[in-house]
Amino acid sequence: MSATENGLVTVRVTVNGRAYERAVEPRKALSDFIREDLGLTGTHVACEHGFCGVCNILLDGQTVRSCLMFAVQVDGHAIETVESLASPDGTLSPLQQAFNDHAGLQCGYCTPGMLMTAKEHLDRHPDGGTDEEIREAIAGVLCRCTGYQQIIESIRAAATTGKGA
Amino acid sequence: MKPAPFAYHAPTALDEALALLAAEPEARLLAGGQSLVPRMRLRVEKPAVVIDLNRVEGLDGIAVDGGAVTVGALVRQQALVDDEAVFRAHPLIRLAGSHAGFHTTRHRGTVGGSIAFAAPWAELSATAITLGATITARSSAGERAIAAGDFFLGPHQTALAAGEMVTQVRFPAADAGTGFGFHEASPRWRDYATAAASASITVRDGAVADARLTLLRAAPAPLQVDAASILAGRAVDEAAIADVVAALDGIDPPDDVEASGRHRARLARTLTERALADAWANAKEAAA
Repeated sequence: MSATENGLVTVRVTVNGRAYERAVEPRKALSDFIREDLGLTGTHVACEHGFCGVCNILLDGQTVRSCLMFAVQVDGHAIETVESLASPDGTLSPLQQAFNDHAGLQCGYCTPGMLMTAKEHLDRHPDGGTDEEIREAIAGVLCRCTGYQQIIESIRAAATTGKGA
Repeated sequence: MKPAPFAYHAPTALDEALALLAAEPEARLLAGGQSLVPRMRLRVEKPAVVIDLNRVEGLDGIAVDGGAVTVGALVRQQALVDDEAVFRAHPLIRLAGSHAGFHTTRHRGTVGGSIAFAAPWAELSATAITLGATITARSSAGERAIAAGDFFLGPHQTALAAGEMVTQVRFPAADAGTGFGFHEASPRWRDYATAAASASITVRDGAVADARLTLLRAAPAPLQVDAASILAGRAVDEAAIADVVAALDGIDPPDDVEASGRHRARLARTLTERALADAWANAKEAAA
């Protein structure tokens, strides 16, 4: 991280395995940086105040709300976004396929945050854990369509395929 | 909304951070950002200077020594809750701490940030008081220790002076035969607490030797109830619990958009009953 002449700060970050370097204003949210500066619009922003979890991404392997971090803070770190899940040829990951098969989404707006949060849960509980653990894991992500039951079934299904996230 | 522009500093040494804070007393310290950043986005706060503590070295350690737990201010809440040695020394920290936000916010949210922000619903504030923790406050002029029981003065009001920051929270070892209880009521699972009760009871020779009870949202600041004087020498049966609940008659929680004061007062009584019953059961088990 280094300051430039016009008040911008240079950020070097690895996103989905690829290195990026950009100059940003310190107040630029990480969520806006990912979408606007890197062009990775899979990460959605909804409330932008940390309530909804839709913008959840993985920072160094842990979920964080990307709207509650500034881009300057991720200099030297590694991020994974929803774009990291599917294969380059477009084949869905087992988790994404399970959401598709079990109606784990309707409008799709919360889905990127839900998927990254579910991925973290499955990375830690390859067998899916208990239903209560799944509910606890996604408690911080709001979905206004599904009623959550199908999301829980999707995560359970992804676990039972034995392929994880 | 987007935050207003600010000058950004990311010191790597504590002395550097404290010197910046001394030079800019109105600067805001950015730790986990789970409370500060929403306030900046709402523009409730428009700091001209933000000092990011996340690159400061030496503030993220957890040490457990003879049952005492020392936690650096920058320790993430999830790391504290997950730590097995911390859990063995003070089960209350996991019991109450896992109610603080969600996994995702606890990955960023820090122990020192929660303490310094002093939100009226903060489970870690009540935990620190109930466990008799000591908070270390440091400025460029030096360091002082503040008892958690004297630290929280009101909503977002603490004993910290301008230029001071929280650097450490130390929870002393629990006495033998101590048990804990924590109960919280919230409108939705894992939402902000409408009310909460945190209790600690130490049993000796089958009776209460010490007891602490801290209530959240029963008053503007965490409320410390003198349960020890009511329970000392007794068994914690229904009558004993009723005596502690009777001591809550005078509480008058403020009304707000989430709940009436009357509702919060009723919750305080019920949660007190549950927290004391749990603490007593756990203490007897610990003493056995």
